[in-house]
Amino acid sequence: MKKKNDAFSRLLDWLENGDQALDTEMEDSLSDASPAEHIKQKKKKKADKRKTASKGASAPRRAYADSWWYRTCAVVICLSLIGLLLFTALRLPEFGTADTLIDSELTEYYVEHTLEETGAVNIVTGIILDYRGFDTLGESHVLFIAVCTVLLMLSVRGEKNEALRLKANEYERHFEPEDDLILQSAARILSPLTLVFGLYIIFNGHLSPGGGFSGGAILGAGLILYQNAFGYEKTERFFTYKTFRWVSVCALLFYSAAKGYHFFTGANHLENGISPGVAGNILSAGLLLPLNFAVGCVVACTMYALYTMFRKGEF
Amino acid sequence: MLEYLRLFLFAVLLLAGLIIQLTAVLGVNRFRFAVNRMHPAGMADTLGLLLMALSAVVYAGFDWITLKILLVVALFWITSPVCSHLIGRLVRETDEEHFEAEAKEWKA
Repeated sequence: MKKKNDAFSRLLDWLENGDQALDTEMEDSLSDASPAEHIKQKKKKKADKRKTASKGASAPRRAYADSWWYRTCAVVICLSLIGLLLFTALRLPEFGTADTLIDSELTEYYVEHTLEETGAVNIVTGIILDYRGFDTLGESHVLFIAVCTVLLMLSVRGEKNEALRLKANEYERHFEPEDDLILQSAARILSPLTLVFGLYIIFNGHLSPGGGFSGGAILGAGLILYQNAFGYEKTERFFTYKTFRWVSVCALLFYSAAKGYHFFTGANHLENGISPGVAGNILSAGLLLPLNFAVGCVVACTMYALYTMFRKGEF
Repeated sequence: MLEYLRLFLFAVLLLAGLIIQLTAVLGVNRFRFAVNRMHPAGMADTLGLLLMALSAVVYAGFDWITLKILLVVALFWITSPVCSHLIGRLVRETDEEHFEAEAKEWKA
């Protein structure tokens, strides 16, 4: 049978035989002496490819991107997008005006009733964690499922092929910015500040702009910064695979239990034993504060786990 | 009169910042090697950001939000050079071919 080369048959081929390039790369990496050697060989292969390619294989494509109408179209599309965005931005209502968004009954209801019904000064948090809590529950589970999938695919923990594991570690050591003085001095100032700022955003989520998702992302960034500067050994003193598992699973279970009870009773604000407190205090708004914390934990753990998985395949 | 002066200062600062950002974008696209590209990229995060932040301060007036804006600038001034340094280090460690060629050129 003659081998066709259109996109569909290439896809079929890929489904049947897998990624050839990936397989050869893995074999190469297992057979090589050291990472530096491996990079050199890869470079050589790439250079060879470029040499053969410049003889004419990819020349037409290059010409296509360089043609005048391609460039004109690119510029015109970019300029019109910029113009559209600027036009929309000019038509936005001024920040802080009272009657900005009251053009539908739903918005009006939220603006008028969120404070007394949920106790949240920040209406956005009141909506996403109370009125639309189910949606947020699903979102945090999506994050968890994403990180589970990445763990399934990339984790080298319990990898049977010992050589592959060792190789991953060796690569890790080769590219790690180990004991970089400049990075460490910056991280010594920044990472505690980042972590505290993330916690502040989480715990102040029902009072000021912010909440679990943004604060959790900042926490995760702080963890990643610390890990980058000081390495795995020091991070493992307080954040290991076990911590990740416990924190994210407990946070999700707590969230599911709290919201499940809420929905089981018909989502109608039954008495749940937590007093709403004085609006504006930190300890107010009932369940919103712990729920924010749970979401923040899940997001921070997810970010850190994704980072370590893509970097090394292990915590 | 003073209002116009303030507006003028605001416009000048903002335009200067924008020009610097534009130069950075052009430079990143125009230069050829990673190390060369780092140079304009670092400029946008430090000087361009400072000028634009100052223009925001001039426009909004001097109050406690100014502190927040300056905090953002300080944060970027700490992080951006560190980023450039790390990129440079990684380039130095991985792009051996290019650096060997350059070293030969320097010797010749």
